Amino acid sequence: MQAPDSPRDDSPQLPAGRFAQQRPQRVRVQAPQDASLSVTYQPPEHTAEEFYVRQLIRSQLRLACAVAAGLLILLVGICALLVFWPVLSTIRLVSIPLPWWVLGIGMYPLIIVAGMLFNRAAARNERRYRSISRD
Amino acid sequence: MNDGIGASVVTSLLSVLALIVVCVTTMLIAFFGLRISRTTSDFYVASRTVRPWWNASAIGGEYLSAASFLGVAGLIVLSGQSGLWFPIGYTAGYLMLLLFVAAPMRRSQAYTIPDFAQIRFDTSPALRKLTTYLVVVICWLYIVPQMHGAALTLSIATGLPSWVGPVVVAAVVCVTVFSGGMRSVTFVQAFQYWFKLAALVIPTIFLLIRAIPEQASSERAALLYTQLESVNTMNLYETVSIILALLFGTLGLPHVLVRFYTNPTGQAARSTTVIVLCLLSAFYLLPTTLGVLGILYTPELGAINETDATILLLPARLFDGFLADVLTAIVVGGAFAAFLSTTSGLAVSLAGAISQEFFAGTVRGFRISTVLAIALPVLIAVLTSSLALAGAIGNVFAFTASTICPLLLLGIWWRSLTAKGAIAGLLVGSLTCGASLIAGIFLPATDQWWIHLLRQPAAWSVPLAFVVMIVVSHGTRRTVPGNVDRVMALLHVPDRDAKFSA
Repeated sequence: MQAPDSPRDDSPQLPAGRFAQQRPQRVRVQAPQDASLSVTYQPPEHTAEEFYVRQLIRSQLRLACAVAAGLLILLVGICALLVFWPVLSTIRLVSIPLPWWVLGIGMYPLIIVAGMLFNRAAARNERRYRSISRD
Repeated sequence: MNDGIGASVVTSLLSVLALIVVCVTTMLIAFFGLRISRTTSDFYVASRTVRPWWNASAIGGEYLSAASFLGVAGLIVLSGQSGLWFPIGYTAGYLMLLLFVAAPMRRSQAYTIPDFAQIRFDTSPALRKLTTYLVVVICWLYIVPQMHGAALTLSIATGLPSWVGPVVVAAVVCVTVFSGGMRSVTFVQAFQYWFKLAALVIPTIFLLIRAIPEQASSERAALLYTQLESVNTMNLYETVSIILALLFGTLGLPHVLVRFYTNPTGQAARSTTVIVLCLLSAFYLLPTTLGVLGILYTPELGAINETDATILLLPARLFDGFLADVLTAIVVGGAFAAFLSTTSGLAVSLAGAISQEFFAGTVRGFRISTVLAIALPVLIAVLTSSLALAGAIGNVFAFTASTICPLLLLGIWWRSLTAKGAIAGLLVGSLTCGASLIAGIFLPATDQWWIHLLRQPAAWSVPLAFVVMIVVSHGTRRTVPGNVDRVMALLHVPDRDAKFSA
């Protein structure tokens, strides 16, 4: 479907073992020309399929927006809390003010957990799509 | 300000040795990588066969720049508690990337942001050109602080003239990129993440062992509290604006996006990003700790605007003799790993964009473009003096958040975006944000509200760019590309082989 010197057609899907045994064919090095950038994805054939794709996009977007909104509210909220309620800074843990602990260490586990939960939920959305779209 | 450390010959020698070790190792890995690099896609994006752990280390290595390595601790010394928001923003920005961009970007089959613009709007060469120019500007703006960092580090540690650092970085980057393209860059950067981590872990452990008993007495502890709370912090608007810039700016960084094409599938791109979140979180604990130590032991740097040197000067403040020399040399080596990895990542994206635009994408064109890509920022860096590194990088994030970020977010998630809308939003975002940043540099830093708006534009320029894109797209709704449904399906439908590699 594409010219042999186009890089897009070497398939990354091959398992690593088989890939290692094949010596790659020497090709003339050339970046993709503009023509190869047009989308060749097969269009969904049925309107039902199209509907499922839209459902998938909508559910993924809803998920991403929910996590992002939570993150933004958390960060801006903490920021405002520290400004409008300075008494928080007088609380000390091991002689370091509490906000330093919260901002310096406490935020990172939250970010990682949010990422992991999103990752799992997004994969679940995709599995659901695959199971109903008779792929 | 070089006294106390610049005088020591041993420090200079050890630092130069650390610098040479980092540069030579980088180039050796690059040459080694050349043997495996065979096809164009090897050269550009490592054939998309890089494993998640390797790729995550490489992303971490590429992302942790001078701003992270030197700048974060510097900002904490400069603006206390407010400085803590920068590493949080850099990390949370990666979460945003995971939420909105990672998997669709991988499935888009685009190598660069201009490629993405073309896939989404194949009837608009103007949009492609505009994104190319924006990518070039962003990369240059991002490379200049790296060069400033190199100049600062080398002149503090060895007393060499300040042009030497940038020239060394430029030379090594050119050799690395020339020899192997993306494949070797992936290996180089994966190595450099772990090297940078080690280069901060070792000094941090030594410094803490010395500092904790010193601070343990009760009157020292009370003093510690007052010292931490005495540093001037930023106001609420500035902090919120910086958070927004960092969260949304990460989405649009060209050198970060190109990394996602090296994942085999969209799902692998997401797993990689979660690993990156862990790597970044682990890393940022160190400059944060060192920043706190900086407030205690090098507070005077804040007064003379030299806070970026905090990490370089701390070992000599706490230790004497050979141990101080060795620790300083380790930090210098790590700092150069940071400059090299970020600059080579940016150089690949930049050279990719330039060579696609002007040299029809040949490898020879790629190499010429690399030299062009590096030469100008070196020149700028040698001729100008450095702002606070993390602050300068924060400005670049504000710029990408007002330009590339709305294009990607709306392009990936909103089917009604039109090419005209995208162009209008990019122009408005880049002009308003760029103009106010430039004005903010030249106007005196007084405490008026409009000065704050100019110096930290992200809070208004990012929504503005989004609104312009949406409104103009509504006005030109007849020009929505005909293949938009197919493009959206390409971006969002899970890869067919996802179940094998998830």
